[in-house]
Amino acid sequence: MRNIVIFGGSSHTELAEQIASRLNVQLGRVKLSKFSNKETNVEIHESVREKDVYIIQSGCGHVNDNLMELLIMISACKIASAAKVTAVIPCFPYARQPDAPYKKNGELLPRIPKDAFIGYTYNTPDSTPANEVKNPFGEQSANGTSSSEISTRSAGGYKHWIARSGTLIANLITCAGADHIITMDLHDPQFQGFFDIPVDNLYGQPLMIKYIKENIPNYQNAVIVSPDAGGAKRATAIADKLHMDFALIHKERRSQIKPHKTDMMLVGEVRDKVCVLIDDIADTSDTITKAAKILSESGAKKICAIITHGIMSGDAIQRIVTSEIDQVIVSDSVPQVDHLAQCSKMGVFSIAPMFAEAIRRIHNGESVSALFSLMDLI
Amino acid sequence: MSSTSNSIKIFSGSSHVELAKLVAKRIGIDLSKVVVLKYSNQETSVTIGESVRDEDVFIIQSGCGEINDNLMELLIMINACKTASARRITAVIPCYPYARQDKKDKSRAPISAKLVANMLTVAGANHVITVDLHASQIQGFFNIPVDNLYCEPSMLKYIKTHISEWQNSIIVSPDAGGAKRAASIADRLNLEFALIHKERKKANEVSRMVLVGDVSGKTAILIDDMADTCGTLKMAATTLKERGASKVYAIVAHGILSGKAIDVINDSQLESLVVTNTIPHDDKKAICSKIDTIDISPTLAEAIRRTHNGESVSFLFSHAPE
Repeated sequence: MRNIVIFGGSSHTELAEQIASRLNVQLGRVKLSKFSNKETNVEIHESVREKDVYIIQSGCGHVNDNLMELLIMISACKIASAAKVTAVIPCFPYARQPDAPYKKNGELLPRIPKDAFIGYTYNTPDSTPANEVKNPFGEQSANGTSSSEISTRSAGGYKHWIARSGTLIANLITCAGADHIITMDLHDPQFQGFFDIPVDNLYGQPLMIKYIKENIPNYQNAVIVSPDAGGAKRATAIADKLHMDFALIHKERRSQIKPHKTDMMLVGEVRDKVCVLIDDIADTSDTITKAAKILSESGAKKICAIITHGIMSGDAIQRIVTSEIDQVIVSDSVPQVDHLAQCSKMGVFSIAPMFAEAIRRIHNGESVSALFSLMDLI
Repeated sequence: MSSTSNSIKIFSGSSHVELAKLVAKRIGIDLSKVVVLKYSNQETSVTIGESVRDEDVFIIQSGCGEINDNLMELLIMINACKTASARRITAVIPCYPYARQDKKDKSRAPISAKLVANMLTVAGANHVITVDLHASQIQGFFNIPVDNLYCEPSMLKYIKTHISEWQNSIIVSPDAGGAKRAASIADRLNLEFALIHKERKKANEVSRMVLVGDVSGKTAILIDDMADTCGTLKMAATTLKERGASKVYAIVAHGILSGKAIDVINDSQLESLVVTNTIPHDDKKAICSKIDTIDISPTLAEAIRRTHNGESVSFLFSHAPE
């Protein structure tokens, strides 16, 4: 392959190496470090003048550090006269836009302990951003105002404004100088619209289908389950392709007394069947472990989850170990070596071939659509 | 400031809440409510706790500590205020991050300071207030107004009030790059000026320091814009002592004090190291008695007040507010 340079960011060097070796090129030499004052330092030791540059960086681990590193790398290549810079972001950071569940009067639903915000510091609650809202202005806010004062204001109709960083991240990547983005299984397909540059959103689906066909014995009798309504479309697509049955777990927020307590409802028949949970992100793995509980209570024989991005933050691994779930299969969009070592239920399928093929096709100006369905190509 | 309390909002990022509180107190308003937290997947989340619609918003965030986290936090806060219909958003960045990566000094070196400027603009900042930029040319990286305030007036005040023998002292610049900054202070105080020249045989390794000027029998006051690992300051102090300086003070705008800086200072011949509070350093002060602080919040508060009221900020370039 001529005129191509591939760089790997520090978030996931293994994946970058696998992609490069499939494309039969050497990874570009780059030195990534941090100065003692914690500023990111990027030194590119490879000429990129008039080259087609691909920078592989996943949104995992220290997300902000990795994002900044990616932005600096893009910018460095751009000002070093690269012909085109493509950001390859297998797991896109800040892809989930938190939805804020509000009471009808506009008041925020309290979800975190009230004493969590007395100090004005970072807080690391072990819950997922999606559909989770912290009550940021608990008993005492940063400025020591009392809660009664604030709740009066809330009653006045002001809804707390939660930042939705999607467009911002898109703009930052564009302003750093990226000409093209390759990513996989964006949480919201609308995210593509936040960019003014082309975004190729690859699908994990063909890889999941391949995995099911090869690894789940008698898969025609198994049931595909979506752990929430949002992922139903993704799951039904797989069920349709494999002519499998489909079930859905639905979260209900009906109780007026405890509005934050959700009831889970299973729609569909799973008794004595093998269940395959399909989702795009397992962060704290709260959703899939809860789903597994419902499924096992409803008589499922075996429960397996196939997930694109296994971020596994907080005590996710511990949850999986203790859960009724039998197997969790994730892609290597996020480094999985540590997770595999900690939990024997985990398994991995590789996305490197798909990204390598996408890079090859984009570099050669061929269509990428074929990757969306035909897995025989890779 | 009751007349304006309805149209000015000051938010603080998590990097330096102390400074933000001092600034807000001087202006006479409360900090606006905001909660910044990190999800377990390490993404930053910002919730703005009060309406900013058609308000004049100031967000105070310094480039220190976990720089990338703090920068992202600032960008998300700016963007959140922008999408919440703030009339104008001013990023108050006492210590500008990535200020030293400001030129393409090697092949393919990133100009990260320019990237940060673009990022701030893209996020939606309308105005930037900062203090003692490492290179004032960074102002040219922006397409929005940048007010680069100076610590100089506060430093002059400190020298006059805290160094009793200041009239018998000499101002020293620890490297050629900072000569202008130091010379300007010497002029204002009507003192003599000396310069230390670093000889580098290899890159990043200062082999010898050459002092230009006479310091014998005088109190030497080193002036610089940043104290990071403090290696230069320590060497400069040793050189000055060898050449007969009676005491050596160092007055520095941004006390980053990373790595082993504290050990280096404790170990050095410096009488004291004076830094401004553009970067929080209370924890470092506790383990190093040589560190003293200049409070910069009056200057920032006054700049915010003047910016808000549409008054000239030039006054602050030569005067430290009482």
